[in-house]
Amino acid sequence: MSNVMLDVRELTTKYVTRFQEDVYAVDHVSLKVEEGKSLGIAGESGCGKSTLALSLMGYYFPPLHYMSGDIIIDGKNISGMKPDDVRKSVLGKEIAYIPQAAMNALNPTQKIIHFIEDVLKAHDLYLTKADIHKRAQTLFENLGLPAEVLQKYPVELSGGMKQRTVIAVSVLLFPKVLIADEPSSALDVTSQKMVIKMLRQLMEVGFISSMIFITHELPLLYNVVDDIMVMYAGQIVEKGTSDEVVFDPIHPYAKGLMGSIIVPEEGLRDVKLTAIPGVPPNLKKPPTGCRFAERCKYVRPECRVNPIPMREIGNGRAYRCLIPEHELREIYAREAQPHGR
Amino acid sequence: MNHTLRQVFRSGKFVVGFSIFTTILLTVLIYPLIIPDSPLAIIGQGTFFPPGIYVNVYDSIEAPHYTLNLDAAIEKRIASKLNDEDRLAMKEWLIAAGLSESEIDTTDTVQLLDQWVNHYDPAKPIPGLTNAKRNYFIRLNNALEGLLSTEGVSLAVKNPETGALEEVGVIEQSAYANINQVASVRVLPLGTDNFGRDVLTELVTATRVSLQIGFVAGIVATMIGLTLGLLAGYVGGLVDDIIMFVTNLFIVIPGFVLLILISFSLGQEQRGAVTVAVVIGLTSWVWTAKAVRAQVVSLRNRDHVNLSKLSGHSVGRIILVDILPYIASYVVMALILQISSAILAEAGLSILGLGPRTTEVPTLGLMMNWAMIYQAQILGKWWAYLPVLITIALIAFSMNLMNTGLDQVFNPTLRD
Amino acid sequence: MKGYRKYFLNKLVWFLITLVFAFVLNFILPRLMPGDPVAAIVARLAQGVSNSTGVQAIYQQYAEQFGTNKPILEQFFLYMQNVMRGDFGFSFSQYPRTVADVIGSSIGWTLALQFPAIIVGWLIGNTLGALAAYLKGSFDKVIMPVSIFVSSLPAFGVAVIMLVIFGVQLQWFPTSGGYGFDLIPSLSSTFIWSVIVHYQLPFWSIVLIAIGGQAIGMRSMSIYELNADYVKYSRFMGIKDSTIVGYVFRNAMLPQITGLALSVGTMVGGALVAEIIFSYPGLGFTLLNGVLGQDYPLISAATLIITIMVLSANFIIEILYGVIDPRIKAAQSD
Repeated sequence: MSNVMLDVRELTTKYVTRFQEDVYAVDHVSLKVEEGKSLGIAGESGCGKSTLALSLMGYYFPPLHYMSGDIIIDGKNISGMKPDDVRKSVLGKEIAYIPQAAMNALNPTQKIIHFIEDVLKAHDLYLTKADIHKRAQTLFENLGLPAEVLQKYPVELSGGMKQRTVIAVSVLLFPKVLIADEPSSALDVTSQKMVIKMLRQLMEVGFISSMIFITHELPLLYNVVDDIMVMYAGQIVEKGTSDEVVFDPIHPYAKGLMGSIIVPEEGLRDVKLTAIPGVPPNLKKPPTGCRFAERCKYVRPECRVNPIPMREIGNGRAYRCLIPEHELREIYAREAQPHGR
Repeated sequence: MNHTLRQVFRSGKFVVGFSIFTTILLTVLIYPLIIPDSPLAIIGQGTFFPPGIYVNVYDSIEAPHYTLNLDAAIEKRIASKLNDEDRLAMKEWLIAAGLSESEIDTTDTVQLLDQWVNHYDPAKPIPGLTNAKRNYFIRLNNALEGLLSTEGVSLAVKNPETGALEEVGVIEQSAYANINQVASVRVLPLGTDNFGRDVLTELVTATRVSLQIGFVAGIVATMIGLTLGLLAGYVGGLVDDIIMFVTNLFIVIPGFVLLILISFSLGQEQRGAVTVAVVIGLTSWVWTAKAVRAQVVSLRNRDHVNLSKLSGHSVGRIILVDILPYIASYVVMALILQISSAILAEAGLSILGLGPRTTEVPTLGLMMNWAMIYQAQILGKWWAYLPVLITIALIAFSMNLMNTGLDQVFNPTLRD
Repeated sequence: MKGYRKYFLNKLVWFLITLVFAFVLNFILPRLMPGDPVAAIVARLAQGVSNSTGVQAIYQQYAEQFGTNKPILEQFFLYMQNVMRGDFGFSFSQYPRTVADVIGSSIGWTLALQFPAIIVGWLIGNTLGALAAYLKGSFDKVIMPVSIFVSSLPAFGVAVIMLVIFGVQLQWFPTSGGYGFDLIPSLSSTFIWSVIVHYQLPFWSIVLIAIGGQAIGMRSMSIYELNADYVKYSRFMGIKDSTIVGYVFRNAMLPQITGLALSVGTMVGGALVAEIIFSYPGLGFTLLNGVLGQDYPLISAATLIITIMVLSANFIIEILYGVIDPRIKAAQSD
């Protein structure tokens, strides 16, 4: 049984809007990531993936507020820690974050190496400048980045190069958990490939112990992560290994999501693309029952009454729906029958 | 369009600015209808009459008199004759004469007078009292004795034949006239300026003229800026380079310098209000041109524009239909800013003496200029310049508010 | 340093071009207007009889030196020649003083007053704006409306208010002049003290005027930068807020410097008006006297000098910007 690097229990965080309304963007989310494994979080825009990522860092800023729950990184519970301690010992060190559109994440008037110096200094690591340079250089070379990037300003680097630089800087302190938030969405296909390769490499070489990969691009996830979590309206609706979730989704939303992917393989013509009608609910006043009820094809009266709990079906597989597993599979099987035959 | 208007009027800043501005505008338009006097008419003989209600003394004699016995009347009368200096002097004398300080209250006129009357003795020797001071106290005492009497004042008329003064009546101290029955009363809420003109009427007209100048200058500047910006932005290429080169030149060379040169060279004769406005407009279009060009450049490659181009529409039509509506919001904001800065520019010019002709109409700047030349600030005649300043500030402030409000509506990122 | 060369050269060339353009404008504009002052001078010369001989002499001297009867191009070259020598002719209103003399004695006062005041105002304004953006809360709620209001006040408004409150009512400072009327310029401590005392009101008026606009701009820039992605990322990498604040303000300053370069013209304009209100013996006052005395040579020279001052200031600031913004260095180096 390998080490659990990240153990999140019933984490709830909220946004407070200008008008003092609460938006529960992350609602009692629980997840586990083991050493050497990577977890993918999939969902549509606005489902709370990025907020979840921010919440996991343990460092809250208005308008984001922590409500309840635990975040345990390699045995250390960071939920109760004082912000300054979190900053010094957790951020970047235990858990690191690669932001979306990392191109803009670098200070335009600062050389990369100076930023690296600042990062290392902020963690009370008393290294000499020469040491810092050497460390940065070695890291960059190991990750396949030219060392001269260190002396450049962000404006002198291409989009893909900036992204990979940001990734390299994020793993400077060899964090246990690396959260990558849409790391490749803003890039061209070639750069995308390089970024994925780099992330994989980080795991293989051991620079990071575990990874969380957030994206709305489902086809990508399958090739990158071991396990997948599907999020909808601030809640997790399905958990399982990549194979399971992609090829055998249980929750109606996950099923709909997978059904909307074009996979250029044999038999493409026979597969009908499904779109999920409707829009996600307003998280200021989340519906009392299942949050997917409005858009669900198989909705029943009891779905809208009480909050739906996660249904565990063994081996880490779980989904959030009242309908029993075998029933859902029957429904799916029936629908998969090609029409007119 | 409707939706935009609704959003605009929901913006707090815009509404406040707009209200202030419309209030000023309405005042300027309605006031002349109520008070049709000419603003440059000199009604005061003398300079800087303080604000107040001016009652014709002659008419008040003729008006029916009523007898009112008011307690405070006597006090007020004496109080107005006894200034602080005198009171302090009296107190000094009384202390030197033996009264203790705590007994004397200079603010209680009746009591003070009482003590004085009881104790004053011109013959009493006071150590350290100079002759001049002694005479002063004697004079003071005499004046006070006159005050305490209750006799009225005689009204006399010269006999045309004998040349002697014949008493025709007495004005009692308790005689009051009803102001509504006095034939001629003039309210001067802001007094008169150094020439003797009614400041309030002048101010209203000046505001109107300045606003007119502002509008004309603003429109001229915006039109020039808009045209050049559109041409530079849309046509691009060499036209753009030339226009941009010229614009950049004019940005660095201070506009007010050109303004001074042109205004001076035109000479006083030529400088009517409209001419000045046009000149201001001609020297301040630069920023609008730059802003419009930037917007047009970003719009140039939008899909709907390309679509029109492909459909073969003429350049003129594309500019009118596809580009203009999108930059309308910026143009409106630019116009507001131009008007506001034009009014300030006119004021600055007038202070230098290069403003519109002084004999026709007053402008806000001219009023400031006059106040300055005649040293109103140093003399403490606040009514000659403070209302003008406040008006200018209000106009500029309200326009700024409107502009900020509009900005927030059109650029959601700026909303706080 | 090599990277700077291109940038520097670029700015220098631009400076020279605008300089030439300024000269041309200064020369041409008056002659194009309906009330052409030079033509008026020529006309007055031709009349001969209507003026006293003294005034005649003045016009005569101007006509000779600036060649009013020659074709325009020749006039222009004559003009340029004279200016290069620093010779602007005799002042009409202060004959027999030369224009150069009049301007020379006032330019010092203006430079000593305006540039420190504008710079101090810029610094304070930006600091206030930055603080308002960073501290938010009640500090921001107070600073914002006050700044909007002060920046709406015209330059002369601020000057008049300062004059009335501190000069007339409270009588803390003198209300006019550069130094006491009874003093003769010397290096005595009384004189120097008098200068300092007279300096205060005009100085602080100009500072206030400069602050108003800057505070608002800096606040907007800072708010924009504070919400930038790199701020969030730096936070997440564990960097202290105080360090991040340093980043933010450095970045927000840069456009402000450019802004200063572009608005130095307007600020100088406002400062000149302030000078006039305080009867401060600088270029503003000189200009006013020139207008009152219909003294064309004086006005022409004064406007030219002011323009050159502004252009130079603009040039210096642009060079400074190139030094401070590290991206300029980098972008040029390849």
